[in-house]
Amino acid sequence: MARWPTGREVDLDEAVAYQRGVPRHRNFALTVLRAKSEGITLAQPRGGFATVEEQIALLKALQDQGGADLLPLTTDSYTRNERFAEAEKGLAESVSAGRSLLNGLPLVNHGVKGVRRVTEAVEKPAMVLSGTSRPCLTAEVGLAGGATGFLGGGISYTLSYTKELPIAEGIRNYQYLDRLCAHYWEQGVPIHREQPGFLTGTLIPPGLGVAIAVIEPLLGAGQGLPHYSVGLGQALCLAQDVAALRALENVCREYLQRFGFGTTTLTIASHQWMANFPQDEAQAAGVIALGAAIAGTAGVTQVITKSVHEALGIPSPEVNAAGVRLTQQVLRMLERWRLPLDPEVETEEAMVAAEARAILDRARDLGDGDWARGAVRAVEAGVIDVPWSPSRFNAGKALPGRDRFGAVRYLAHGDIPLPPEVREHHRSKLAERSGGASSGMVSERLLADLTAVSRPVSGNFGPDGWRDFKDYADLLRR
Amino acid sequence: MRARRRTGTRTVVTGVIGADCHIVGNRILQMALEEAGFTVVPLGIMVAQEEFVKAAIETNADAILVSSLYGQGELDCQGLRDKFEEAGLGRIHLVVGGNLVVGKQEWAEVERRFLAMGFDRAYPPGIDLRRVIEELRRDLGGPARDG
Ligand code: B12
Repeated sequence: MARWPTGREVDLDEAVAYQRGVPRHRNFALTVLRAKSEGITLAQPRGGFATVEEQIALLKALQDQGGADLLPLTTDSYTRNERFAEAEKGLAESVSAGRSLLNGLPLVNHGVKGVRRVTEAVEKPAMVLSGTSRPCLTAEVGLAGGATGFLGGGISYTLSYTKELPIAEGIRNYQYLDRLCAHYWEQGVPIHREQPGFLTGTLIPPGLGVAIAVIEPLLGAGQGLPHYSVGLGQALCLAQDVAALRALENVCREYLQRFGFGTTTLTIASHQWMANFPQDEAQAAGVIALGAAIAGTAGVTQVITKSVHEALGIPSPEVNAAGVRLTQQVLRMLERWRLPLDPEVETEEAMVAAEARAILDRARDLGDGDWARGAVRAVEAGVIDVPWSPSRFNAGKALPGRDRFGAVRYLAHGDIPLPPEVREHHRSKLAERSGGASSGMVSERLLADLTAVSRPVSGNFGPDGWRDFKDYADLLRR
Repeated sequence: MRARRRTGTRTVVTGVIGADCHIVGNRILQMALEEAGFTVVPLGIMVAQEEFVKAAIETNADAILVSSLYGQGELDCQGLRDKFEEAGLGRIHLVVGGNLVVGKQEWAEVERRFLAMGFDRAYPPGIDLRRVIEELRRDLGGPARDG
């Protein structure tokens, strides 16, 4: 608690006593568990600005104009990297410029009192969103400030948000955080823990996403957490996305049970499209609407929303709230209808589960039965290999692409131990892709997949959607 | 002062400045530059101003291509030109691209702010890299490829 002066304001006993007084409807874990038991999908936006006043205005807009069920305390990127002096400077410059120059709330700099002002100003529960491998001080201040949830994971964030941090260190930091949250539980204060299953957000093959989203709750349960939420980013392929969310819940349940954590409650989160968004606001709204349909028909408990400003910049409170409202409208019209299990969804679900189990079992072997050690060694061995990771510890041999219907497949899988039937499934699905006009440059072909949903709409016989796929033959041969 | 090589491949340094972890566009940019014949020195994410300067000296680079996606570029890029000046590379070609500021703002105004900071060129979100490469070739004078 000594890395920034406000850390000294944190008195754990006082914080627990304060949290005991927070009304139940402002508790994130209790809200999520209630939604799970009633089969409801809750809408949850992201968002953060530099000052306490701006943050309060944002949360009120999300709650009142957006109809958000759950609220965010998204931190800025200096805070995420414990660069609190730079956060202080950014905060001062934001105040004098009259607009936020920070991309989130520097909650450590605001201290416990500042965070309490924010969480007390609204009626919905708030969770700290802080893409970081060093969550400790931010969690201490955030939880003491009345936040009742914390997003993050030692494998996922270290591989997606850092360059130089060893995976073992990221895992250790999150074990500390999970232990802190378990302490609150033991004192009668439920704290929602959740891992960011979207990883780099960039065409993550769902089997790999599921595997990581199973190890992180196993580590959390090992620290004494009785409840955990896991998620995946959407690929915008309805069949594969719904199948993947089902596989996530089933495989995660199965492993928790197998390794002695059968009583841990589990909830599922679906993140609306996490990669390149269309700049056109109408197209962006389409992406958000499909995302709501995926979450709703998969029957997940949380859907994390985006806004139509996604491609350009952090949305204003109004535009952010509109993304939540758009999502709530779709969820409401679906009336808790679930996508029926047709053979295609069933096959996809089996493939995702088989891939996840193969990665999990290899990781466990590598760790001689210890999941933390297994995760570290699995990353070293490229068994866990996150596409587009900025970390120098990530193998970087796996490369994803899309098939004809937009499902994510491996163009190359490196050392990820894909079972033969999964490998064959991916290969045959990729082979269905039509030739199309192919660019000679690898950069342009990769970019075409990464930006497929952002392409201008030009009628069904034009280069629309993912129908005009480029030829991947030589990439596959590499 | 270092002598600019008039022939031979052009060397450019790429990197994502500040505490920014967005690597995807930066890597695509690196690949596109390499495919266009440039020699690229990729520094990856979370690059400090000093690291850009150091890499420029060590590799005798012709240009620095700074990525900033996460909105705090307006804070991170302040004083970068001065750092190069202090190192005796005051005239090095500086380019910046990405989602440079927090929120959706008028591009002309954003561009003005970054040019005033000392960048030779600034590019808006989602820019076509063919245009970037064409303009880079023109700005550096002569083709990127040998001969
Ligand atoms: C994928 C993504 C992520 C992934 C990144 C994974 C990774 N490690 O790379 C994850 C999920 C981890 C992530 C995290 C965050 N993200 Co993000 N992310 C995106 C997203 C959706 C796509 C970015 C992308 O990969 N695009 C695809 C590539 C190919 O394109 P590109 O990067 O835009 O680059 C293009 C050009 O800009 C150009 N280019 C790039 N660099 C350069 C340099 C030069 C010199 C030139 C000429 C051109 C150039 O080349 C590309 C081709 O056109 C964008 C929104 C969007 N664009 O749709 C938000 C976005 C960039 N993220 C944003 C933010 C704020 C964050 C966070 C800080 C969280 C937060 N507070 O909300 C964290 C980052 C924490 C940190 N420490 O940095 C904001 C930035 C807001 C702003 N500027 O106002 C955006 C715009 C979303 C939003 N509207 O809020 N993100």
